[in-house]
Amino acid sequence: MINHWMFKCSEVTKLISRSMDQNLPLRQKIGIRIHLAMCKYCSMYKKQLELIRKLIKNATEAEILPAPPLTLSPQARERMKQRLLSQY
Amino acid sequence: MTSGLSDPASWVDTYGDYLFWYAIVRVGDQSVAEDLVQETFLAALKSRESFASRSSEKTWFTSILKHKIMDHFRSKHRDKADSIDPMNFSSMEHLFSQNGQWNVRPREWKDDPESSYQKKEFWTVFTHCLSEMSERLRTVFVLRELEGLDTDEICNALKISPTNCWVILYRARSFLRKCLEEEWFASKRQK
Repeated sequence: MINHWMFKCSEVTKLISRSMDQNLPLRQKIGIRIHLAMCKYCSMYKKQLELIRKLIKNATEAEILPAPPLTLSPQARERMKQRLLSQY
Repeated sequence: MTSGLSDPASWVDTYGDYLFWYAIVRVGDQSVAEDLVQETFLAALKSRESFASRSSEKTWFTSILKHKIMDHFRSKHRDKADSIDPMNFSSMEHLFSQNGQWNVRPREWKDDPESSYQKKEFWTVFTHCLSEMSERLRTVFVLRELEGLDTDEICNALKISPTNCWVILYRARSFLRKCLEEEWFASKRQK
């Protein structure tokens, strides 16, 4: 009977990801909860996935600015200026 | 100047880096990102009469770029069959043993992981990890987590099934989690 509620780590992680996109049926929610109560690795997985989402959200709101190499190269910068000026 | 916009000659210096960063995180390719930023500036120039000074210039450029990125994704994925990259199967299978137990267990993330977003180096690592994903994985992940689309909208834009979308997001998140852990959260590289 208890096996009916038991998920494997490979299944639970799939459901954790899916729960970030849609509401899961109650049976699956309970299954996840039971599993997480016993499994610290899947608990970490869930916590870390949620943290990644939060970091992205915070960065978008704080408008963090890039550092090289994620900035325009001098060549690209020059090319864009030329194109803009030629159309202006 | 009736439109209230600044001198186009100054656009590249003022907004170039920001827009380039916005693009490269999402498309993962330097020359594609440069092209998109270039197109954004040219489109802005063409329609500068329509700029309403209600919004900031930066917001205006960003919204043009967002459209360019969506167009890029749509045209890129339009002709692809509704299938999953075979490439990423192998890496996922390594995560768990045959009976569904962790093979490579998640580790504790140290040193106040919540504040990572304030560090520029973290975003360099984050962008690197995104660029290591297959294109399809990255695209779906970006649309979901960076652009904030729901899975229905992503399915429509990319013409993929919802089930496929969930599988892709699961793989993308698992990959990114592991990559960030190795390259940042459990690594000595962190500053």
